Amino acid sequence: MRLERPACPRASRLFSIPDPGQATIAGLPISLDEACRSAAIILSGSRRPLIGGLGCDVTGHRAALSLAEKLGGVVDHMHGRAQFRNVQAFQDGGWVTTTLSEVRNRADLIVLAGTDASRYPRFFERCLAPASQFGELTRKVVVLGDPLLSIPDMDGVSVSSIPIDAGHLGELFAVMRARLAGIPPRATDVAGVSIGQIEALLADMRAARYGVLVWNAAELDFPHADLTIQSAVNLVKDLNQATRWSGLPLGGDDGGTSAAQTCTWQTGYPLRTAYEIAGPRYEPLLFDSDRLLKTGEVDALVWISAFDPERTPPAADCPTVVLGRADMRFVQAPDVFIPVAVPGVQHAGFLHRMDAVVALPLTAPAPSSLPSVAQVLAIIQRETNHAAA
Amino acid sequence: MLRLKNGRIYDPAHGVDGEVRDLYIEDGRVVAAPGPDARIDRDINLAGRVVMGGAIDLHTHIGGGKLNIARALLPEDHRQDPVPTSGGMHAGCGHAAPSTWTTGYRYAEMGYTACFEPAMQPINARHTHLEMGDTPMVDKGAYAMLGSDDFFLRMLASGADQRLINDYVGWTLDASQAMAIKVVNPGGISAFKFNARSLNLDEAHPYYRVTPRQVVQALARAVHDLGVAHPLHVHASNLGVPGNADTTLATMAAAEGLPIHLTHIQFHSYGTEGERKFSSEAERIADAINRMSNVSADVGQVLFGQTVTVSGDSMKQYGNHRHASPDKWVVMDIECDAGCGVVPFKYRDKNFVNALQWAIGLELFLRVSDPWRIFLTTDHPNGAPFTSYPHLIRLLMDKRFRDSKLDEINAEAAAHSQLRSLDREYSLYEIAIMTRAAPARSLGLTDRGHLGQGAAADIVVYRDDADREAMFAKPEYVFKDGQLIVRDGKVVNVVNGALHVVKPEYDKGIEKPLKDYFDRYMTVRMENVRISDDEVCTCGASKLIPHVCKGRAT
Repeated sequence: MRLERPACPRASRLFSIPDPGQATIAGLPISLDEACRSAAIILSGSRRPLIGGLGCDVTGHRAALSLAEKLGGVVDHMHGRAQFRNVQAFQDGGWVTTTLSEVRNRADLIVLAGTDASRYPRFFERCLAPASQFGELTRKVVVLGDPLLSIPDMDGVSVSSIPIDAGHLGELFAVMRARLAGIPPRATDVAGVSIGQIEALLADMRAARYGVLVWNAAELDFPHADLTIQSAVNLVKDLNQATRWSGLPLGGDDGGTSAAQTCTWQTGYPLRTAYEIAGPRYEPLLFDSDRLLKTGEVDALVWISAFDPERTPPAADCPTVVLGRADMRFVQAPDVFIPVAVPGVQHAGFLHRMDAVVALPLTAPAPSSLPSVAQVLAIIQRETNHAAA
Repeated sequence: MLRLKNGRIYDPAHGVDGEVRDLYIEDGRVVAAPGPDARIDRDINLAGRVVMGGAIDLHTHIGGGKLNIARALLPEDHRQDPVPTSGGMHAGCGHAAPSTWTTGYRYAEMGYTACFEPAMQPINARHTHLEMGDTPMVDKGAYAMLGSDDFFLRMLASGADQRLINDYVGWTLDASQAMAIKVVNPGGISAFKFNARSLNLDEAHPYYRVTPRQVVQALARAVHDLGVAHPLHVHASNLGVPGNADTTLATMAAAEGLPIHLTHIQFHSYGTEGERKFSSEAERIADAINRMSNVSADVGQVLFGQTVTVSGDSMKQYGNHRHASPDKWVVMDIECDAGCGVVPFKYRDKNFVNALQWAIGLELFLRVSDPWRIFLTTDHPNGAPFTSYPHLIRLLMDKRFRDSKLDEINAEAAAHSQLRSLDREYSLYEIAIMTRAAPARSLGLTDRGHLGQGAAADIVVYRDDADREAMFAKPEYVFKDGQLIVRDGKVVNVVNGALHVVKPEYDKGIEKPLKDYFDRYMTVRMENVRISDDEVCTCGASKLIPHVCKGRAT
């Protein structure tokens, strides 16, 4: 298969076609049917399994939720820790956000808050090109964070940076909100950023016609980062009193957006949810995959990672079933490994873009004899009927 | 063959008002009485029971991106109403922003067999169809939102020929697999992106310089020319703003005789009289509807309690955010296509404004004389969750009950309202019109909403209880396409339900400028916006029911 624009290293890796691979039990080759039966026996004996990873498309997520419901399991995504920094801020106060095409056509000031958005080179190419349907845009990009962040050189885009440790962004935004509210500053600087710099930035932000504050929860990796996000979205809300500003949370890798969306429409909750006797139970702090595995509150793990062979399961003291890309390699073989087709390469389906608005159709340019995540989970679910009998 | 014997039939599409008759059902359809030799496989005696077609909700926010925002925002609301897995039914949650599964079950348990999502953004269509695919029991359909999308506004601003606009509207219906076209705050969602905070009907858009009136006229014309059964579905400008009744009346007039449906009109029937500068204009609005046969409306009744407001109207939702309860809210600009706003809301019966909103909705119901042109909605979940419909029906059918509730609301609001002077009580026949026959006719569902020969056997049987709330909350039987799905208000058989779409004819040449536009300015390709018939079926609906449109020459 040929990529239209092979420059994106992440796309090149994920769109490569793996060899068909081999189902294994404890590292030894076995048939797909036997592997599914083994998985079903493990899961039938489990009191509370974790259906984790969830690196697949919507058809896979539907099947994963169905299996979790059947087994009384818990669901969390492999990037749950980052996702829930956003969810906590969102559920506490809501936010004002935008989507990629709006950024592309309207944004004249883009503030990158502690994110090395160059990890997503397409973000710059696609969203910050000068041409817009409302005429040529002269854009300013302000980087709040490490000045070493790499930004591609682009026409019509001027980049400046204000060095600040991401852990102090919350303070910076709080001071900016206070200034917006007319409260005079008492300190001379915030985490090394002078009040003069802050005033200048705020003046630019108020003068923007359509400002966008960008963050990536995965990169805000420090305790209570949800509060940093909350202070960012509160600043965006306040700026909207006079001009237009929106937040743009980057992320959603490995099917994370689809997993949260599907779980939300089916249960009301955006993952970290257990199927219990009384109905779905949502515990955003308790049902963190790593925590559940560490404390032994789950006694089996189903790990799904159909996009990226490097997303192997976390260490677990409980029986582990892995549905992974065929070229996934393990330091220690899981109890059951079932190679699955890659969504969008080897099977068709649906996948949400990070802004959750656009669900893209996935096609199968290189169809494979491998089953999809949804197909394997359906077989396992069926087998659990026999295993339980 | 199934025979439903001796039921009292309410079938307004055929003028049948409570006649005792037998109904025969075979292969999912209502059939003519067979001869005496016919084999009846099952007989159900319905003596004393009330029999109607399956109810149809033509305006209920059951699925799509903004619903999922509302769900994710409100875990504390879901916790009050957890739904366990049981008997082939999925777990989920209920109340204000229920899970898709629970939405389908609870609609069916009230005797509804079809629901229409009124605000599907074309760019979000695939997601919406995925949600509706996981909404069981009922038939579904969605209205595609246009009127603040930049492609349309560019066309309008450049003076494009109406035929080109018709092609674009046709393409949108086709590509997004929609049933009708809705316009929300015409041009206003776009204007908000240019920092406008309001946009009146004859005010120029800050960038395109076109007016909401032009937007409404172009879209109403397109819908009419394409032969789409349901008129342009209009969420008018100035939602919730005191004094907006003038805008609403002007919007009706702007249609210039073309069919137009004004949605959640309760939120658009406000005056500015009184000390609080907030008053009812229900009488003027109702009089206008009574006078203008091209106009229909649904009410968007407010009922008291916690809910969440979800709307494509990002401009007005931003304006309302200070009323958020609990204090959290979401506003989103979406993909040069539209926007949305989600604001949780608690309507309080002792609050003057909320109480008057409640009374205004009821006044509208009681003052509009033709039940074929006014539909029963709460604009779920904006005025109240759909599960409050039985209560609303009782308010309409039972004046004593209504007056007793009027005694409980904010006294000043009660004194301002003329509700007590309105003696009208809806009959069962009128309820059957406004919840069955009329929405089916408005949507062009020729084999739904009635019980004549050949009709789809979506049938509801109620016990005739003087407490109409109890009666409509718990049908004794509900049949969907001839299958028994609900018994005594509980799902007994899980089915999925079909997706209704329209298939207008249009010139596919519109894809050339459209593709160019997407390639130049959008971050998604046009080909990835379009949803094929095959693909939409994989989203989950049991089948696709296409409705042919008979285009009208321009």
